[in-house]
Amino acid sequence: MPTSFPAALPIARLVLRVLVILNWIYAAIVLAILIALFANPYWTVTALGFESSDQPGALILGARLIAALGLVAVPLSLIVLRRLLAMTDTVRAGDPFLRENAARLQVIAWALLGQQVLQLLVSFVARVASSETHRLHIAAFSPSGWLAVILLFVLARVFAEGTAMRDDLAGTV
Amino acid sequence: MITVKLDDLLHARRMTLTELAERVDITLANLSILKTGKAKAIRFSTLEAICDVLQCQPGDLLHHEPGPDAG
Repeated sequence: MPTSFPAALPIARLVLRVLVILNWIYAAIVLAILIALFANPYWTVTALGFESSDQPGALILGARLIAALGLVAVPLSLIVLRRLLAMTDTVRAGDPFLRENAARLQVIAWALLGQQVLQLLVSFVARVASSETHRLHIAAFSPSGWLAVILLFVLARVFAEGTAMRDDLAGTV
Repeated sequence: MITVKLDDLLHARRMTLTELAERVDITLANLSILKTGKAKAIRFSTLEAICDVLQCQPGDLLHHEPGPDAG
């Protein structure tokens, strides 16, 4: 049996809390970029590193869409992080095998699925907004990301079944 | 509904729940759960141990009472 790493849980909680903060910072930055793309689009795309585009309209529209899609990712990330934190709380309380955790895993799986779909959309927009002089390449398909989605749906199901079995056993003498 | 007649059997054998717990090697807490009807299931090993000590049959310990909707 693999030995447990006692510090894993406190480290995980700390990392999750930091990620929540970083998520909000990311949201603020993307929102600022989106506002700038409407307030002064040519200056903004130049500041982002795109100069003398032969299709400025498409590039600006593409950048706006990508920024908007980036904002949609913020609540999805928050859903994942908050639920992971709640699950670590149940581990600290001494009983993680709860129906609520099975439900949380499922919600996390759906949120990650949403993020993978967002990535596909962002990649599509980037491809459409690309020009001869400025090719925006954003990877569409992340094998590890999609594998994580499948893994989490399976894990959620396993957790639900295990919790039901544990509940059955709880009243067995 | 399954009812557990442990009280009756203990009274007949002049035994306390604590004594039974010591003799069958089952915790007093679990036997209390069984006695008060809060158990969801009983293992055959537990049933066998109780019947050995109380010198009874499973049917003496467990009774079935039809529910309110039973015909």
